[in-house]
Amino acid sequence: MTQFTTRMKAAIVGGAMALGGLTAPAANAEGMDYETVSDLLHLVMASDRAVYTRLIVNRLQNEEGVIKASEHFMDEKALVLPAQMFRFGAEMVAEETDEFTYSLLSLWPINKQNAPTTDLEKEGLQYVVDNPGEPFYGEEELGGTTYFTAVYGDPAVAGACVSCHNDHKDTPKSDFELGDVMGGVVIRIPMDG
Amino acid sequence: MTRNRLLWILWITLTLFLAGAGLARLYIAGDRTVLTPGQTDGVHHQLEIACETCHTSSAFASQSKIRKDINKTCTTCHKDELKEADDSHPTKKFTNPRMAAYWDKVDARFCTTCHSEHEPEITQAGLVTLPGDYCVACHSEGEQDVRVNRPSHEGLTFDTCASSGCHNYHDNRALYEDFLVKHAGEPALFPDPVHPVAAIARTRARPSVDEVSVYLASLEVPAAYALDDPMQHWAASAHAAADVTCATCHAPKSETADEVEANWTQAPGEAVCATCHKGEAKTFALGRHGMGRHPEIAKPRDAKKTLKALGMKKPPEALVTAIETYLSDDPAPEAVMSTDRARVSLRPEALGKDLTCATCHAPHEQDLDFAAVGACLTCHNDDHSLAYEDSPHFKLWQDETAGLLPPGSGVTCATCHMPQTERKGVVTTNHNQNDTLFPNEKMIRPTCLNCHGLAFSIDALADPALVANNFSGQPNRHIEGIDWAVNRVNQPDEGANQ
Repeated sequence: MTQFTTRMKAAIVGGAMALGGLTAPAANAEGMDYETVSDLLHLVMASDRAVYTRLIVNRLQNEEGVIKASEHFMDEKALVLPAQMFRFGAEMVAEETDEFTYSLLSLWPINKQNAPTTDLEKEGLQYVVDNPGEPFYGEEELGGTTYFTAVYGDPAVAGACVSCHNDHKDTPKSDFELGDVMGGVVIRIPMDG
Repeated sequence: MTRNRLLWILWITLTLFLAGAGLARLYIAGDRTVLTPGQTDGVHHQLEIACETCHTSSAFASQSKIRKDINKTCTTCHKDELKEADDSHPTKKFTNPRMAAYWDKVDARFCTTCHSEHEPEITQAGLVTLPGDYCVACHSEGEQDVRVNRPSHEGLTFDTCASSGCHNYHDNRALYEDFLVKHAGEPALFPDPVHPVAAIARTRARPSVDEVSVYLASLEVPAAYALDDPMQHWAASAHAAADVTCATCHAPKSETADEVEANWTQAPGEAVCATCHKGEAKTFALGRHGMGRHPEIAKPRDAKKTLKALGMKKPPEALVTAIETYLSDDPAPEAVMSTDRARVSLRPEALGKDLTCATCHAPHEQDLDFAAVGACLTCHNDDHSLAYEDSPHFKLWQDETAGLLPPGSGVTCATCHMPQTERKGVVTTNHNQNDTLFPNEKMIRPTCLNCHGLAFSIDALADPALVANNFSGQPNRHIEGIDWAVNRVNQPDEGANQ
């Protein structure tokens, strides 16, 4: 798939998500295979996430020092952390549809609830660390339903990612560098209809 | 016909009749009190008779649909409360299929997993119906094992997580680790303690007797209603200061003297109060005093509609009439709570009172002392209430009302149980007096921390004897949460940066 085609499809899926309600991806995906749907969803997620991280958090906190980002953003009147923004979006989607779910996980999670919980998650997260830029696809049965599961590497796109993760008191790994895969986005689509 | 056959027919007829009558009451109309499977808990008893408040599924819905529907109704009423609490375990956190392994342990996708109604024999405080060590299900293994990075937690039993004053399942706003560290080392009592929002509310210049007389002389009041005492009281109140006149409440929307005379209502209802005091009215309907007014309580069933819902497209009028005649109307929960129906310890002489705005607020006076203390103590008869007038908090209130301490220094029943908030200069009193009552750590941020340090607040609230004597003395318990949190941050080898 060319970069242009991928971007166009991502724009269609993203637009449908924004304007047409969250059941739209499945409708647009009719005829597409799970991998393509998942790739497009991830493209939207990763783009939004990178924009927020670079243009909001990294710029305002690390470069201009205007405001800090904090996991206790309410108490400290701070910016929401990029990982929290991603999770809040995922939870909002989950309240609207069960056509797909997504999460941001890591083999080195600061928040332990973001550690892998299934064997396939562990395998996929390790794969994207070992093979930067390559997604991982698989199938797994959870709660009686078979899911298509895709894992995409989540690299450190800005200095803010590295400095926060390396310095956090709960981090299990403190030698991340810019560009390192720090975790992965896991997307699941139920395959049982 | 043999005698046996006759008896069989009689037995079958009676059985069908009784079953039909029961099912008709259950699914169509009529009082279902006798069919209630078990007493409901807490405030739910006030709306217990309106079954459809929680049971919204159709009669033939599947078990899984019924469970989903019931759980939706929990958040219909408790959504704002959980959002305000920054819920540590929102159900949405567990719906992702990656949490499937946990569904078999404690299925946290559903409120009813932990809060099962109609089971008084296993119901604990907070309507919890799981054994007290429920945290063990998820936090004793793998990445979620709380003991892995916290040596301080080794040897602790899981029945103490939520019962010791350290953690709550939903609301940990005053208990999360970074908050504990931030507030470590605070004194038990801050210098010159004052509740800042209460100070705003209580700082109001009171008019002199002469000013009241001049003001009253300038008003037009129908002669028949120009009573001296109420008007004197009212003229000195905040209502008068805000130009809320006699007609504003007694004859709303009346502009001329004739209209006031014609529309005069001697005893205006709560709706008149709620016209201006929207926040107070809304929160009043969320607490035990005013729950009967909650907008989400189901209305009584309509026989015709329930028959249609059961699949009868055009129910015969004769059938509807017969049902309405023989099953009687669906009873509705009483909109006004009465002390007779209370399930807490009340003074015998308080029985028979209805709880409306005027129960605690004298209509013309703005008697803070009665609304904030006297009204509560008129009814409540538990140890904590009875000990209040001997407590240091009450002494502060006496000193404030005597002018010896600045506004906001006194601690009344309302200070703690009906905390005030300020937004854009407007002070609102939370009239849901249960909002911060359980677990009592919910009270720490809106109330305690204005005057006391976090460690003292946690210790005090975790000491049942101190709570019972209304905080007359020092805590006899020490909760080590802050010590452990500080130790963990200061000594990375103990857990942080592992």
